[in-house]
Amino acid sequence: MTGGRHHGILAPALLFGPALCWALAAVIGLVWTLGDREAWTTLDRHGDPVAGSDSCRSCHPTQWSTWHQSWHRTMTQSAIPAAAAHPLAIARSAATPAEILAPFAGEHLDYGGFRATMSRDPDGRPRVRVERLDDAGELRSAGAPVLDVAVVLSVGSHRFQQYVAAVDRAPDSAGSGELWRLPVAWHRAERRWIHMNGAFVEPEGELGSLADYERHLSRWNDNCIFCHNTEPAPGTEPAAARFESRVGELGIACEACHGPADAHLERHRGKPFRRLLADRRLPDGSITNPARLDPARESAICGRCHGQRIAKDIAAVLREGDSFVPGDLLAAVSRPIFADTTIASVDGLDHGQPFAPRFWPDRTPRLSAYEYQGLLLSPCYAGEPGEAGEPGLGCGHCHAMHGDQPDGQVRAGRAGQGACVSCHAVAELGGASSPGGHGGHREHRDVDCLGCHMPKTTYGLLEGMISHRITSPDPGAWLGRADQPDACTQCHVDRSRAWAADAMAGLGLRGSPPTRAESPEERLASRVVLDLLGGDPLQRNLAAHALAQPGATGAVADRLAWLADGLEDEYPSVRWFSWRAMRTLAEQTGDAELLAALATFDYLGPIDERVSAQVRVRDRVGPPGLADWPELRERLFAEREGRALWIGE
Amino acid sequence: MRLETHLRASIVLIALFLASGLWLEAMLGLRAQGWLDDPLRREFLRLGHAHGGVLGLVNLGLAWALERLQTPAPWARKIRVAGLLGAGLVGLGFMLGGLLHGPTDPGPAVLAVPAGAMLLLSALIATALVRPGDLPPSTKAET
Repeated sequence: MTGGRHHGILAPALLFGPALCWALAAVIGLVWTLGDREAWTTLDRHGDPVAGSDSCRSCHPTQWSTWHQSWHRTMTQSAIPAAAAHPLAIARSAATPAEILAPFAGEHLDYGGFRATMSRDPDGRPRVRVERLDDAGELRSAGAPVLDVAVVLSVGSHRFQQYVAAVDRAPDSAGSGELWRLPVAWHRAERRWIHMNGAFVEPEGELGSLADYERHLSRWNDNCIFCHNTEPAPGTEPAAARFESRVGELGIACEACHGPADAHLERHRGKPFRRLLADRRLPDGSITNPARLDPARESAICGRCHGQRIAKDIAAVLREGDSFVPGDLLAAVSRPIFADTTIASVDGLDHGQPFAPRFWPDRTPRLSAYEYQGLLLSPCYAGEPGEAGEPGLGCGHCHAMHGDQPDGQVRAGRAGQGACVSCHAVAELGGASSPGGHGGHREHRDVDCLGCHMPKTTYGLLEGMISHRITSPDPGAWLGRADQPDACTQCHVDRSRAWAADAMAGLGLRGSPPTRAESPEERLASRVVLDLLGGDPLQRNLAAHALAQPGATGAVADRLAWLADGLEDEYPSVRWFSWRAMRTLAEQTGDAELLAALATFDYLGPIDERVSAQVRVRDRVGPPGLADWPELRERLFAEREGRALWIGE
Repeated sequence: MRLETHLRASIVLIALFLASGLWLEAMLGLRAQGWLDDPLRREFLRLGHAHGGVLGLVNLGLAWALERLQTPAPWARKIRVAGLLGAGLVGLGFMLGGLLHGPTDPGPAVLAVPAGAMLLLSALIATALVRPGDLPPSTKAET
């Protein structure tokens, strides 16, 4: 560099020029982008195609990763290799291979007079074959199998995984495009096969009845497709009696909650200034961010699946899907099902309220997949935009889809009392200054806000779950009633409801004065024991569940003796809850002999084997509840026969 | 900018970005939300901390090199300003871009990083190329 080439401006120009040029370009780019309407305006995405979760990954790696480890992703998976032809039209296939949980290594399940054998094709594809058993429980040598199909899809993966195959059920229905859920499923926690009749709340079927065996062989195209996939369209063609079902993506993927993303990708691809300026002050109208919606619209996204509903135009939904885009109000396309919901065409059924059995008498949902209704019925929910009241509770208050906890997807810090104290200051709650604090349970580590205000009075997927209707316990108001469990006696399993009503007063809590007299049997046994013996099948399930919950009161020996009654129940689900609760308690006490007896009990096994195991268990745990009042036991058993339930979730 | 000012400012720069490391470590220890739960913020704060500190050291080297190479004072003054400004912009650009960021990308403050990098790169290139006798015509007359 010679002195002749230098000029006074050269040094600063060389040193500062490039940076100044860049700074100028950056400022111009930012200002121009801020004023660019095309970058931010809200777009109508109804009818847009699905872009697929893989297209989200590069810009949203953390969110993609948390979704990828969620149960939502594996809600539906293809069991067919990506390269092979699929009977279902899938717009976008994820690159991740399916996680088939069951071995499909030749294991079999005998149930109801049939044997299901789970194996694989030579190319490794899972297969289910169902054959009739003879009276001796052996395979009949002659006769074609009643079902012999290759698995096309798996549904679920958290609690149990179900399997779907292409089956032409009706005569001359070849090429119908129908996919059917198979009658057996893999139970993940127990690592065993179960029959679907044992996964629902309904009585045992008749031995050897194919109709009973195939009770839950249900058509996937116009049932499961809706809540287990992204942008589903059943594709019914009534005239042709066939389906041309299609989904945007298998499972619940990104666009189920954020809406179709094609426009969003188009808007931001190769436009770095738009991405740099994307924040709360400049909401992006090409995608839905549930966190920025009001509680009603945000909860509607969850309620689309976690709240059973009736479409406004059922024919259109069966053809093209529900046309809901996250950010819409669900009321625009459907109405949620409540206890008093009616359907014009079924006026004669259950007094025109066919869904009433899915709710407790106080109209609280008693099944899972009604969580949205629970929220809508809660005092913390403020209603839809424009309605009076403060901004209230939405699903996102307690749940986070991009947290690190796949189970329950509870937002960090919002488990237990964390769900409530951000709105309800602990010091301002009634009785806060008393020795036991608000509610009087401060010393009990197993009790938090949810135990009393969101008790486990909901049934779903062979589990007892918390109610999503936030309430305050009022056992006094329910005295003399035997049709609904209450929060107090679901923990105080050795106590009556009258005791709970008295305890409320003792703790200084608000409660109604008794509206009815205590029934005679309530003086003899706890509420949960009465439910287990004489309640309807859901009450029996939840009573058995409550007896082994952490924090349940009463002697373990008593609870084991009460639970053994459930092993005899005619409902497989009650037998399941009772057996599992007994195993939990036996593991806690280390009773090896009882554990060995329980290991011989299969809640879906033949009745003679079950009776034999139950006798062993009974010998070990002693006499049943109300053994000294046999007439009362008989009356309770007789009463429950009039409380049959058939609940296919 | 004089040599002494450059040296002192470089050391201050290093101290500031080292101190920011203490802050980041404390947030980790205290499990501060908004730091642990935000990988983008974490990444860019770390980048700012590391770049600011290392580029402060680069400025120390730059000051030493300008002295050793007897770079003419009119050049050296501007190189020092460019070097220091560049280091500061890179470090702060990363940190501010991470602190105030959007859903997928750092905030607009990250645009200061390329500007800082250009300043620093220009300063290093000029230090390497300018010789003791390279003086602008106006300053030649003065000498």
